[in-house]
Amino acid sequence: MSLIRFLVRKITSRVLVFYLLLTLTFIIPRLMPGGAFAYLIENPNVTPEMREALIKAYGLDQPLYVQYYIFLRKLLLDGDLGVSYTYKRPVLDVILEALPWTLALVTTSIILSFAIGVPLGVWLAFNRASRTGVSVSGLLFITRSIPGFWLGLLMLIIFGYYMGVAPLYGAYTYGVTYSNLYEWLADVISHMWLPILTLVLLILPFPAIYTRNAVVDVIEEDFVKTAKAKGLPETMVMLKHALRPASLPIVTLFALELGTSVGGALLIEIVFSLPGMGKLFYDSIYTSDYPLLLGIVIFVSAVTLALITTVEILYAIIDPRVRIR
Amino acid sequence: MRKVLSRSNTIQPISLIIEYIGILKFVVSDFKGALGITLLIIPTVMALFPGLIAPYDPWIPTGKPFEPPSFSHPLGTNDVGQDIFSELVYGARISLLVGVASALLTVLIGLTLGVLAGYRGGVLDELIMAITDVMLLLPALPLMALLAVFLGPGYQNIVIIIALFSWPPVARMIRAQTLSVKENLYVEAARAIGASSLRIILKYIIPQLTPMLIAHTVLRVSGAMIAEASLSFLGLGDPRAKSWGSMIYWAQRSGAITAEAFWWILAPGIMITITVLGLGLIGYKLEEWANPRLRR
Repeated sequence: MSLIRFLVRKITSRVLVFYLLLTLTFIIPRLMPGGAFAYLIENPNVTPEMREALIKAYGLDQPLYVQYYIFLRKLLLDGDLGVSYTYKRPVLDVILEALPWTLALVTTSIILSFAIGVPLGVWLAFNRASRTGVSVSGLLFITRSIPGFWLGLLMLIIFGYYMGVAPLYGAYTYGVTYSNLYEWLADVISHMWLPILTLVLLILPFPAIYTRNAVVDVIEEDFVKTAKAKGLPETMVMLKHALRPASLPIVTLFALELGTSVGGALLIEIVFSLPGMGKLFYDSIYTSDYPLLLGIVIFVSAVTLALITTVEILYAIIDPRVRIR
Repeated sequence: MRKVLSRSNTIQPISLIIEYIGILKFVVSDFKGALGITLLIIPTVMALFPGLIAPYDPWIPTGKPFEPPSFSHPLGTNDVGQDIFSELVYGARISLLVGVASALLTVLIGLTLGVLAGYRGGVLDELIMAITDVMLLLPALPLMALLAVFLGPGYQNIVIIIALFSWPPVARMIRAQTLSVKENLYVEAARAIGASSLRIILKYIIPQLTPMLIAHTVLRVSGAMIAEASLSFLGLGDPRAKSWGSMIYWAQRSGAITAEAFWWILAPGIMITITVLGLGLIGYKLEEWANPRLRR
């Protein structure tokens, strides 16, 4: 299949998924007892005048299909996600301020996890009988059983409280003016290294164990034996001959892992009180700020879908085999 | 072992017990499986006999707020003076119950859709697989939280929500298995003598899947327990019941870190990890039992 046909098919199918998601976020609030009215207007932060305005703006006194039309038109044509009850500002603005923090956390962590996890998996495959290999595998298995947010709390207690090498909350020091960009960056890194480390520990087992199993499957193949018999250096055999056949499923895993890590990252942000989407999410649940909550769910899903699709398209450009199917 | 489970249609209770003892023997036959069973003993005993183990009623304040661990309060007290060890013991029941119920519902949905897709094929197969792929793409946690917010608190809702977002991998696995079982000659023979689809599925296909189903149910329990804890941590648990996840939520909410009440945060997390690890070890061992090719 040509690249263009692949791109068109992939993007249309993902746009359809996004549309499905939008429809879900329209239906779910209306499942609530009391219907749309209850979810939009039963909130202590909403004044009677606001209530009137909301009913008018969302067409809540009209039949469902009109509401659906208004919902889609506002969202897709005007990029209007409504106004947050607590922040009293457009939801889109509130989200766009928080988004960079979450994106930075997720992308840094997942790239680091795979950069460490894949070589670690290859190493584990070649050392699967050794004592250290078995212990590392066991350790990864244990890490995978720990609830992510609790690991975050544990890290906070150990590194932040007992050792005092990490701040207890925030992504930067409050009320400080920076003289240059590097100062700001240094401050942010001193705050962010612990949440990133936590997330890396949580994601790492997936690429590591997956790569290990994939490489173990090809390790007994003749071409790997031949490479070894030719006297090629061990690392060369590992990377060029044993890892390459496994690279496609690893990229697929990377794309899918993006989706799960976003959820994990939201929880980690809450633990470390970072100013990202996670904190907004937590607050919107706590204060019943429904427009903000819905906006976050739509935005997080859209960003995840976009990231996954980008990874898949990039890989299809590099490796033509992906385009078949 | 696999054959025994699917051989006769009228399994006697005694042979069933022997069967299960056989599975248990296989699970404890190596270090990992034995460790899994050992780890699981603690939460199971807590969940079955909380009244015998817990020194207090977890809802009644029996000490001063934020008491450190002592002989009368082994894990100290929380912000309203309730005994944390007693909370932990009673929490086992809710956490395990939610985990098991969600896992059963997940496997039920996955089994139904997977068998339908695999057995029927055609448009139905494509439709079910398309839905499965979409579900795998969407970030589950925000959507689960959204549903939990709008369906309201209550562990029945949590169970349904977790199952709604956990079935896709099960359906995929069951579909693949069904496709291979379907090719067996005895299935063709049954079809030739005019057995109905329902009869073939119930009598000849599902029994072949049972070992795999048992393994995956155990693995799903651990996934569901993590999901429950995450939702509770977001404040979406049932306020009328105490689970391990909701204990961590309240600890974080009440400033346990600044009050240096670390035991309050640590204890429930350790319990979740022990249980999930134990279930994982047993689950993978059961998978080996179901699929001997995995034994290496």
